[in-house]
Amino acid sequence: MSERPTAEELAEAIEEFLAGEVLPTLDDHRARFRMLVALNALGIVRRELAKVPPEEEAEQRELAAQIRAGDVPAGTLARVKAHVAERLLIASPHYLERYE
Amino acid sequence: MIADMRETLEAVLGPISEPVLLPGGASKEAWAVDASGERLLVRRAGGGVIHRHTLTLRHEFEVLQAAHEAGVKVPRPVLYIADLDGREAFVMERLEGETIGRRIVRGPVPERLPVQMAEELAKIHALPREQLPFLEEATIDRLADELDEVAEPHPAIELGLWWLRENRPPPREPVVVHGDFRIGNLVIDDGGLVGVLDWEFAHLDDPARDLSFSLVRAWRFGADDLRLGGIGDAEGYLERYNELTGFGIRPEELDYWEVAGNVGWAIGCLTQAQRHLTGQDRSVELAILGRLGAEVEYEICHLLERQGVT
Repeated sequence: MSERPTAEELAEAIEEFLAGEVLPTLDDHRARFRMLVALNALGIVRRELAKVPPEEEAEQRELAAQIRAGDVPAGTLARVKAHVAERLLIASPHYLERYE
Repeated sequence: MIADMRETLEAVLGPISEPVLLPGGASKEAWAVDASGERLLVRRAGGGVIHRHTLTLRHEFEVLQAAHEAGVKVPRPVLYIADLDGREAFVMERLEGETIGRRIVRGPVPERLPVQMAEELAKIHALPREQLPFLEEATIDRLADELDEVAEPHPAIELGLWWLRENRPPPREPVVVHGDFRIGNLVIDDGGLVGVLDWEFAHLDDPARDLSFSLVRAWRFGADDLRLGGIGDAEGYLERYNELTGFGIRPEELDYWEVAGNVGWAIGCLTQAQRHLTGQDRSVELAILGRLGAEVEYEICHLLERQGVT
């Protein structure tokens, strides 16, 4: 599933922050230069990510609608939890350790 | 801009120190100023769009006044200013103490803090609602509507909503609630609770819901083993609250509303990310909440598992 913000959208948010809020505060020439290079590199990452096709989210939509309709057979929670854990491995890998 | 602001403030407060913008606060600005030897804080509307279900600064000021009159530990409200350099604002006392959750849970935690939290909540829940006629009632049905507005599939949140519908305890008479009562919105010093801040989410609701909000894992700031905001157990807190209010709230109700608090915050993460994605308020901090909401979804699954859901 293509989670929001997507990886591309996150890269864009970082670019905006660095260019808009950090770059103007840098007085050191070398730091400014390296920040501009870093922003270029980040732009490459963002454009490359834009080419990645979004993942299929039809299954998640269907599951969400089914639960909303009150159709929650045994095993639903285990299935949902496993999927959330998978997303956490990307979004916040150390978080799962807090449940060990 | 600071010059205009200062002129308006000096017209009402007399000579003041140079206003200093304090960090934090995505939707509201906080300026520290001193006037005639008094430490003051100017809370001013931010530039972004005011989101739904939050009070205007005028109404927030009125709630603060009512709380202060009733003896709730809050910063003393000083005055409301309809136009402070183009935005509404109010002035209140600037309390001394710690508000940063991570530092508070690191300790040493004042021993009486859980009981003090219960005592302040009991006072808040006794505020006369007739005095605050603008407060609206919020039901948990609103949560599903808020999720629908985000228009993303989140089965874990749906499961939480489903469980909340299936297991709703008998409703209690709505009272005035703070709406965001948790570590992070409380000023703490060595002696314990100094003041309750951030009243913008005040509304009318089941008191058990407000009582349970500080149990939500995200507001334990990493001290996960201490269910009450990373600073204590829920037992003494609940006992003291019941003793003062006579509401007789049961531990199962805390469990129920703890799930509700997590569901609310999981949706809150998504709506905060929407503020960034829609361009209303571009910010990395808001953006990343869209992904960190998965932590809260995992906690919802964990809590439901403990309730016997499979």
